[in-house]
Amino acid sequence: MAVPSIPSPTALRREGDGLRIDWSDGVSTFVSWQTLRNNCPCATCNEERAKPPNPFQVLSAAEVAAGAPAPLAMRPVGHYAYQIAWNDRHDSGIYPIETLRKLGES
Amino acid sequence: MTPQQPPMPPKFALPGVKHVLAVASGKGGVGKSTVAANLAMALHMYGQRVGLMDADIYGPSVPIMFGLGTVDQTKTPFPIVKQGLKLMSMGFLVEPSQAVIWRGPKVAQAVGTFLAQVDWGELDFLVIDLPPGTGDAQLTLSQQAPLTGAIVVTQPQDVSLIDARKGVSMFSEVKVPVLGIVENMSYFVGDDGKRYELFRAGGGRKLAAEIGVPLLAELPIDPRVAECGDTGEPIVSRYPDAPVSLAYIELGKTVVNTMLQQPAPKGLPEVQL
Repeated sequence: MAVPSIPSPTALRREGDGLRIDWSDGVSTFVSWQTLRNNCPCATCNEERAKPPNPFQVLSAAEVAAGAPAPLAMRPVGHYAYQIAWNDRHDSGIYPIETLRKLGES
Repeated sequence: MTPQQPPMPPKFALPGVKHVLAVASGKGGVGKSTVAANLAMALHMYGQRVGLMDADIYGPSVPIMFGLGTVDQTKTPFPIVKQGLKLMSMGFLVEPSQAVIWRGPKVAQAVGTFLAQVDWGELDFLVIDLPPGTGDAQLTLSQQAPLTGAIVVTQPQDVSLIDARKGVSMFSEVKVPVLGIVENMSYFVGDDGKRYELFRAGGGRKLAAEIGVPLLAELPIDPRVAECGDTGEPIVSRYPDAPVSLAYIELGKTVVNTMLQQPAPKGLPEVQL
């Protein structure tokens, strides 16, 4: 079988200001929404993170209105990832389950 | 104010379909559509209810391989049933001489439409003939279709294997199990009874061993394969006793047995927000 046997999520739920995931190997991880939003794997966010910090950056109107990051929706994508739609209207990030595990363990 | 739920890409359930099987290759021209058509036919000969979806939007082959062409969309219900298979292809909608000049999102949309808006009904297998590469069609299917497995087609030579590896890698990334490798055009048996390995030897076996999956078939070259493809009947049904047909029938048997033994990948759980 070409699919490596890595733990898969068995249950995912909101817990306070983050996401609790129970895994098939018995591990339970927690990752805050802020961490997930900061690590959005989409191309735009990756590009933004690669740029040097801009000391004069001003928050966009949507970011100001949204406040702290929170998911409006989160749904499975195929057998391998979850897509999160955020309250700042950003929804192009597809989080592979390996990324969710890694962020939960860090 | 309660924020509205944002639109998310659709996910298609095919409740009447037991197994959704992708036939893929990294490289074009390895005979993937021929393998998909003959495998679908072989599965049907095994008493399975089978659909064949041609996801090659730019270069559809299913119509010619089944003796069909463009149809009047307003009068023809899809899928079209031919030789016991349920068929859907872009080639039913667009004249063969007309190029489909579309960007990726339109391709993804068409593939999604074939899955969601075609009444596939009750099937044991929906075989999906993927275009070469690892692009929009593949990604849409991986994200939105309930794929239960994939078969990767290659030829024996390294130039084919290098792209087949990419196909395998893509399925690994998106957690779709690869059932095995099919090596097409493995050898030719001449009138002298000798076996000639025209495109080198052992590549499919090497790739299968490398990624830890079975080599499902080594399909011999038979000029009648092309004749049958061009005249609208897969070789496996026109010349069922030909060595290549017997190899396809064995492949069909292996696929049925593998799918019966292997639990379908469970979908990821929903999130309780």
